[in-house]
Amino acid sequence: MIEVKEPKRIPLIGSLQGMYTVFKHLFKKPITVQYPEEKAYTPARFKFRIFLSMDDCVGCTLCEQVCPNLSIRMIVVERNNPHNKRNLYPQVNFGTCTVCRNCEEICPTEAIYLTHELETARTRNNFFYSPEELQKTESEVKK
Amino acid sequence: MNILTRLQLFFQITGHYASYFLAYIFETIFFLIFVVIALIAMIYIFRKYMARLQLRIGPNRVGKFGLLQLIADALKLVGKESIIPKLRDDFAYKAAPYIVFIGLVVGFVLIPYGSFYWIGSLTITHSNVSLILFFGAIAMMPIGEVLAGISSHNKYAVIGAFRGIAKDVSFEVPMMISAVALVMMDSALSRTPLNFETLVSTQFIPFGILQPLGLFVFMVAMIARSSYTPFDLAESDSEIVSGYSTEYSGMRFGLFYMGMFGSIFLGSLVVSLLYLGGFNGPYSSYAGFVYLLIKGLILVLISFLIWLSMPRIRVDRFINFGWKILLPISIINLIWAGFLTLGVIS
Repeated sequence: MIEVKEPKRIPLIGSLQGMYTVFKHLFKKPITVQYPEEKAYTPARFKFRIFLSMDDCVGCTLCEQVCPNLSIRMIVVERNNPHNKRNLYPQVNFGTCTVCRNCEEICPTEAIYLTHELETARTRNNFFYSPEELQKTESEVKK
Repeated sequence: MNILTRLQLFFQITGHYASYFLAYIFETIFFLIFVVIALIAMIYIFRKYMARLQLRIGPNRVGKFGLLQLIADALKLVGKESIIPKLRDDFAYKAAPYIVFIGLVVGFVLIPYGSFYWIGSLTITHSNVSLILFFGAIAMMPIGEVLAGISSHNKYAVIGAFRGIAKDVSFEVPMMISAVALVMMDSALSRTPLNFETLVSTQFIPFGILQPLGLFVFMVAMIARSSYTPFDLAESDSEIVSGYSTEYSGMRFGLFYMGMFGSIFLGSLVVSLLYLGGFNGPYSSYAGFVYLLIKGLILVLISFLIWLSMPRIRVDRFINFGWKILLPISIINLIWAGFLTLGVIS
């Protein structure tokens, strides 16, 4: 039988070491971000809100087909656009959008693209952005 | 001069008996305000300190720096519905939180506070046996906890009460023996060693320097009395839901909560009085109370650090610790105090 020697322990030293480690944290900066007043750092290539240029959109419905969460639906908006004879434009539900950026990648005319805008705070069950709203910035939409 | 005489002089215009009557009433009111403010400050300091140690900010929305957070919490607790178990033992169930709180308040009454500026001595009770009275008063608090446990008709509460009894039995004996060592040493210095105030004011050197073992035992016992983390066997939240206070809600739970924080503050004050010189210091006839508060607050911060950095000890290990380590240490300390008393002081 192998005899396992217990390491020599000095009582209370381990507890004091633990207390010292905890105490050192008193002089560190808190990592909490007080959100509405101060904003967390977001990298320059961070993207969230989908934007749409209605003049460039040709109504090909590729974005609707490629959307994995069925967040994009094509709706009819009466508008005089010679490139878009069927008047089909994407409507986005940000409640289910996961920012996979497939729509941006597949768009043949680069009409749909994502921007740095983050704060799309809205009331519950109202995450739908109509094509007209997708054209505007968030502050304009709120008005 | 003490605070009672000052108040009596203030009310002297009403006559001799009426002025004493009013002085006693106002002394009580001031004292209760002091206790409540101390409890609120303790909980606020704990929450801020815990938040900073965990790299958070802590309460900061209600009032400036979150100072009104505790008042908001108290209002919430008062406004909450009190849900009580159907098969409870009614009187014991309802009396238990008050017993805990009254034990705490009586403990605060019996300790000496030193003197402050022109008011003079802030000590409320002047008794020749106030040390014994003090230990009797804080021994009321476990009774409330045990009553709460066995009257709730809840298995977790009963287990919590049993664990509380096991804990209390294990540390009370070493605590009293280390207190006896202090009294023995002070009996050579004064004629009334059981008087808390003379016990403190005759410390030419803080007794904690002369009896470091006693300081250790008493500090551990005070941590166990307040039942926070290394020794929170009675309400180990991860094993037995919330121990003896499982079935309590609303303000009754709030009283248990305040009793816990109050006993941390009380324990710190008592350790600083008995072992660290309390209100002794330069100009102690003017600023004794301030010395006491500063020493007490430093001990409170150390207690919180212990709370926040240590895991809970197992029940059997705590009982072993109490009977096999603390008790021999306190007896060695008693013998050492005897040597000091006979050989050095007298």
